[in-house]
Amino acid sequence: MSSEKRQPAPIPVEERLFSLVLALLATENGLTKSEILSTVQGYRQRYATRGDNASLERQFERDKDDIRELGVPLETIDAPGDPGNNQTLRYRIPRAGYELPADIAFSPSETALLNLAAMAWREGSLSRESRRALLKLRSIGAETSDPLLGYAPRIRTRDAAFGPLNDALSKGVIVSFPYLKPGDPTARLRTVVPLALVQHQGRWHLKAIDQGVGEPRTFLLSRITGPVKLSRTASPSVPGDHAASALAELESIWQANVALIEVRPGTDASVRLVRRRGASLDDDGRVLLHFTDAALLADELAGFGPEVRVLGPERLVDAVIARLEAAVAAHRTDGHAASAASASTEVRP
Amino acid sequence: MTPNTPRESQPFSFAQDKLTFLLTLVPYLLDRGRVSVADAAAHFQVGEKQIREAVSLIAVSGVPGETTQYQHGNLFDISWDDFDERDEIVITHKVALDDSPRFSAREAAALIAGLQYLQSLPENIDGGVYSSLMDKLARGASERPSQVAVARTDATESLSEVRDALDRRVQLEFDYLSSRGSHERRRVDPLRIDSDDENWYLRAWDHLREAVRTFRLDRMTQVAVTDAPVSGTHDDVRLGDRLFQGGDDDQLVTIEIDPSATTLLGEFLASVDEEPTDATAAASGRVRARIRVAHIHGLTRLVTSMPGAVTVIDPPEARAAVVDWATAALTGYDREGSESREGRPDHRVE
Repeated sequence: MSSEKRQPAPIPVEERLFSLVLALLATENGLTKSEILSTVQGYRQRYATRGDNASLERQFERDKDDIRELGVPLETIDAPGDPGNNQTLRYRIPRAGYELPADIAFSPSETALLNLAAMAWREGSLSRESRRALLKLRSIGAETSDPLLGYAPRIRTRDAAFGPLNDALSKGVIVSFPYLKPGDPTARLRTVVPLALVQHQGRWHLKAIDQGVGEPRTFLLSRITGPVKLSRTASPSVPGDHAASALAELESIWQANVALIEVRPGTDASVRLVRRRGASLDDDGRVLLHFTDAALLADELAGFGPEVRVLGPERLVDAVIARLEAAVAAHRTDGHAASAASASTEVRP
Repeated sequence: MTPNTPRESQPFSFAQDKLTFLLTLVPYLLDRGRVSVADAAAHFQVGEKQIREAVSLIAVSGVPGETTQYQHGNLFDISWDDFDERDEIVITHKVALDDSPRFSAREAAALIAGLQYLQSLPENIDGGVYSSLMDKLARGASERPSQVAVARTDATESLSEVRDALDRRVQLEFDYLSSRGSHERRRVDPLRIDSDDENWYLRAWDHLREAVRTFRLDRMTQVAVTDAPVSGTHDDVRLGDRLFQGGDDDQLVTIEIDPSATTLLGEFLASVDEEPTDATAAASGRVRARIRVAHIHGLTRLVTSMPGAVTVIDPPEARAAVVDWATAALTGYDREGSESREGRPDHRVE
C-alpha cells in the first residue's frame, strides 16, 4: 500500500501529527522546518517548493503546541554559529525525555485506584487529560483488579473560570479577570500570577499573586464574574508547593472561624449540619460549625430558613438576614420583578 | 466491568486524543507480539472498530527515510493475513517508536488530584500507597505536574456501613429524612456509592418503593447492616450518571436567573431561554429558565439560599412559598426591617 495511492484524499489530522512525532523521534540531529514541511506525511502534500508556505507554517506552529500539550518534549536546537535563526533551527524529540522511565510500573490494585481517580473527572474540565493518562497506563500493559467497583466518585468543575485558569497555570502566564468581592458594589478587574487551583469544602479557589498589591491572595472561582483573559506575559517563577500551602491556609481559616447555630429538632438542618466535618454540639444543643467564608455559609444557612437561627459571629448573622430579606423582597406579590432585580444586587452567589 | 460502573468507551473526538491513542497502542502491541482485536479493545476500553482503524493507520505510517519517500522499509508493517482473516494484530516491522510516552503535566496533575480526592474513601488503603502512586505519576511526567489539588474531605460516618453492605451484598436499613421532611425506616439493596465533591449518595433498590432511589448519606441515621442477602435481580439495572430522575408528577417552575448561576441548578434545570424576555430582564442581565421540581419545598430552599441570583416568577404559590419560608426565618431574629449590615468583608479569602 503506497502512500501515493491515498494522495487525493485529505490526510487526517491525527495521521499528520503521528507522522510528525515519528519523524522527530527518528532523527538524531533534528530536522529543519523546511525539511519537515517538504517531507513529512500530511505537510508534504501541501508544500509548495517555490512558493508561499505561510499557512502550512502556521499549521506546523499549532501542531507543535498540540503535541507539547500531550507531554511530548519537542525541542529545538540552534544551528552552530547561527543562533536564533528560524530557518536553520532544528526540531527533534529526545527519546529519554519522551519515554516513560522503564522502572515505572503499576500493580493491578494501583491501576484500579488510578482508574477511579480518572473516573472522578469524567464531567470536569480534566476529563480528557484523565482519559489520556489512562491510555498511557494501559500502554505499559497495566492490568486492573476490580476491588473498588461500586463507587462512582465525581469532582465537579462547574465554574467557567476553571478551564482557562488551568490553561494559564500549565502555560505559565499572567491572567486577568473581573472579581466581585463580597461587600464591594461592583466587580473589579484583577491581574494575577496564578500559582495553584485547589478545591476546599467543595469550592474551587485560585491561589495567585495579585499584581495590583504585589501580594498573594486567594480567590473563589465562583466570584469571577466574567471571562478570564490569558496574557502573553510569562509568570515569574515562584518556588514552593503552592497547592499544598493554599490548602493548609484554607484549612487554618476554616479551623479559626466558628459559627454558632440553633437548629430546630427533627428538621433537615438538625440532621445534616451536625454531621458536617468538624461540627459539634455545645451544652445547650446548639451546633458549632467551622467555615472558611461567611458569605458562602450564609447562602447555605439562609436556605435552611426557619430550621436554623444563627447566633454568631455577627457578620454571619447579618449576612443571613440580608439574604432572607432579599428573598422576601424579590418574591412579594405586591412588588414587581424589577424591584427583585435591584434588591438582589447586594447579595450574589 | 459491571453495569453499575460508568464506562468510557465513546470514540475519541479530538485529534490530540486520537494521536495519544496511536502512541499508546503501538508499544502495547509490540509488547504483546500477537493479540486479538477483541482483547486489545477490552484492554484499552475502546470499541473494536477504533482498534481496527488505528491499526490500519499505523500499518501505513512511518518516517520519510533517507529517500524522503516513505519507502517500504521506513513504514510500520503488520501481518495482513492475521489481521484480515483472524482479526489478530502482529506488528512485523516497527519504526521509531518503542516505548510508552510520559504523562503531560496536566495529565499527571489530574490523576494526582483524583487520588487526593479518593483518600476520603473508607477503603483501608495505606496512605503510603497513595503517596507512592503520586510520586510515580510525578516522575513519569515530562514536566512538573500542574498545581491542582483537592482537599481531603472526611466522609460522613454512614459511609463505612454503606460500603460494608455493598461489599457483602446484603440489605441495608436506615432512618431517612426525605427532602419533603418525612422520616421513614427504609430497607434497600445497595447498588452504588456516588459522590459529588463533598456530598455522598447511595443509589439503591428501595424495597418500600420497589424502585431505584438515590439517598443522601447525610440524611441517613440509625444505619444497620443486615444479614439478609440482596435479591440479586437488579444487577442489570443500569444507573445513569444523573443522580435524580424526573418523575411524571414533577412541576415546571419559571425562574429568572443570572446566567452564571445556571450551573448551580444542575439537574433541576429543564430549559433556558436564549433571549431576555423584556427590557427589565435584559437590564439585569438575567435570563428566564424553567426548572423541574418534584415539590415546591426543595425549590424554596434553593432560591432562599441564592436570592441574589434566582427569582421565582411563576407559579404564584411558589413565590408565596419563598416569602413564607424567608419570613418565618426572619421572625427568629430581632431586627426585622433593619438595614443590611453586610459589607464588612472577610479579609482572608478575597
